[in-house]
Amino acid sequence: MKKLTREDLDKIGAASANKAGDYIRVGLSTCGIAAGADVVFDTLVEEAKKRNIQIDIEKCGCVGMCFAEPLVEVSVEGLPRVIYGKVDKEVAVKIMEKHVVGKNLVNEYIFDFRLKE
Amino acid sequence: MYNKTVLIKDTTTLTQEDKTRDFYVSFTNSLREQNLSDEVQVVRAADIGVYNHGIVVKILPDIVYHDVKEADIGRIVEETIKQGKVLEDLVFNKDPKQQRIVLRNCGKIDPESIDEYLAVGGYQAIKKVIFEMDADKVLDEMKKSGLRGRGGAGFPTWMKWKFTRAVPSDRKFVICNADEGDPGAYMDRSVLEGDPHSVIEGLMISAYTIGASKGYFYIRAEYPLAVERVKLALAQAYEYGLLGDNILGSNFSFDIDIRLGAGAFVCGEETALIASIEGKRGTPRPRPPYPSVKGLWDKPTAINNVETLANIAPIITRGGDWFASIGTVTSKGTKVFAVTGKVKNSGLVEVPMGITIREIVFEICGGTISGKPIKAVQTGGPSGGVIPAEFLDTPVDYENLQKLGSIMGSGGMIVMDEDDCMVDIAKFYLGFCVDESCGKCAPCRIGGFQMLHILNNIADGKGKLEDLAQLKRISFAMQKASLCALGQTAPNPVISTTRYFEDEYKEHILEKKCRSGKCARLASYTIIQEKCKKCGLCHKNCPAGAIPGSREEGYQIDQEKCIKCGQCFEICKFKAIKKE
Repeated sequence: MKKLTREDLDKIGAASANKAGDYIRVGLSTCGIAAGADVVFDTLVEEAKKRNIQIDIEKCGCVGMCFAEPLVEVSVEGLPRVIYGKVDKEVAVKIMEKHVVGKNLVNEYIFDFRLKE
Repeated sequence: MYNKTVLIKDTTTLTQEDKTRDFYVSFTNSLREQNLSDEVQVVRAADIGVYNHGIVVKILPDIVYHDVKEADIGRIVEETIKQGKVLEDLVFNKDPKQQRIVLRNCGKIDPESIDEYLAVGGYQAIKKVIFEMDADKVLDEMKKSGLRGRGGAGFPTWMKWKFTRAVPSDRKFVICNADEGDPGAYMDRSVLEGDPHSVIEGLMISAYTIGASKGYFYIRAEYPLAVERVKLALAQAYEYGLLGDNILGSNFSFDIDIRLGAGAFVCGEETALIASIEGKRGTPRPRPPYPSVKGLWDKPTAINNVETLANIAPIITRGGDWFASIGTVTSKGTKVFAVTGKVKNSGLVEVPMGITIREIVFEICGGTISGKPIKAVQTGGPSGGVIPAEFLDTPVDYENLQKLGSIMGSGGMIVMDEDDCMVDIAKFYLGFCVDESCGKCAPCRIGGFQMLHILNNIADGKGKLEDLAQLKRISFAMQKASLCALGQTAPNPVISTTRYFEDEYKEHILEKKCRSGKCARLASYTIIQEKCKKCGLCHKNCPAGAIPGSREEGYQIDQEKCIKCGQCFEICKFKAIKKE
């Protein structure tokens, strides 16, 4: 990678927009990992592979709802972006099956929180 | 494909059975009658961000109805869902309490990818500083913002930078203090793990402003993941030319290294931290000279906390005035708190300064987990104090908390209900400071030990009334004569608990009673004969053999022999053991 210049940064700044495309994000900070987020992450990757689904599965930091870890944020076309909490292996499979493939939100695991702006 | 999504959650589950499911059935039925089942999806949420407001219905993205009754369903379906009309009488119009500046990217970007940080506007602030601003302008902006150190003491950041900048020297240093050690506080860890680049950028701006060419991250070794992610972030920044020589083609050069703290709490104190980086024993030294004059290797050094640094880039890009518009007169911006203890939703909350503790605990965190009333909230870790329930409506800022005998501290907030004993709490925090005292100065080393001894006596039922006066005397000596903030503030939890809960101390001393049952030595256990099923479990498990009896005749606790360990109380399946 070549060194960035001022102009490069200008360009990136102008291009930055909301992330496009479907994605799943798993909170993989210490609090998430302690609650089993790494297992959830692996399960999601595995399930996606098994079903041959093209979706970005990424890691991210902690959004603050440590009581509900492991947290999984899912954004797929046609459905609102939601955060699932207290996700385990089973719920991860459900998310893949019902949410990503079936385009239905999964009951009982959505943790919605309110932020200014 | 659905047009609309509706989230449903019963938010008063602490006092009643969860009615979400019943309501969900009624709602879906109502939709079916209107032939809307294929267009609207209804989902039962686990948490909806509103608490104690009956059934809450959220029509995404942003219509929230509270205390909804079954009778309202028809209207909601007919008017809101079909016609998009908002039902004013049901709307929950309290503004969201959380606002994110420090945690802006946490949970939103991949912390291990610099590209994602760049995509959300990362490193634009340092670019602006290098090419469009000079040091004086940065200081100006920082002054306008009113940002104060988030490590605990609340010293204005711009002033610290200005002092360091003003001292002539061939080399200067900047340090990021990530030696977060307060029990129950982990804001800095989350920021470093979730958004390390924002802290690096903050450190770069501070270095540019004061004229430093070298910076250090001082991270405690107990945070291995944070260390790993910062390391990776630094490597990526070097690769992109955002660190090193001639950053972005300018003549600003800056290097960052990581140093690990080996687990001493006192190394969070700036002079001890500097000694530790220099490879010396991590003990504090008297100030002045302050690090801004004589810091790392006797060179001018600016030390800032992780959270402080994470605030810098937004201040630069959005302006000091914007930042100053948030918060109270003396305390600007937001503060991240790690809310733990007896609270329903423990975790990190970032709120504007000036919000009340009640709002944090009840509106963001959903109240106590037991549903019992709050007794007190502890802030500021071992240097802070307890804030009793009657002051829960105090707006949170540096001055207000100090007036109440506590401090803002680094941001730990521990919620305590009636089951917590104040003597026990004081004992815990003081014990922590006694363990962590470096031993260099006598007031802290000896004073702390003696105070803990007295507290232990009180908790064991051997306290005397004179002890309270003695506690005050030693506290005063420690506050006045200790070398560093650890010793000066170590008595704070004792002072504030004796100030607000003196009757509880007196109860321990005079009546030999602990009302919450935490002080094990003061508890007494008896068997409630009416409830006892004579199973003999307590008899078998008593380590002191203090429960004689037989399956036929029943059992008694021999108070003379009882060591008050509480085993029988824990193990009894029929709740037949009374603890007083």
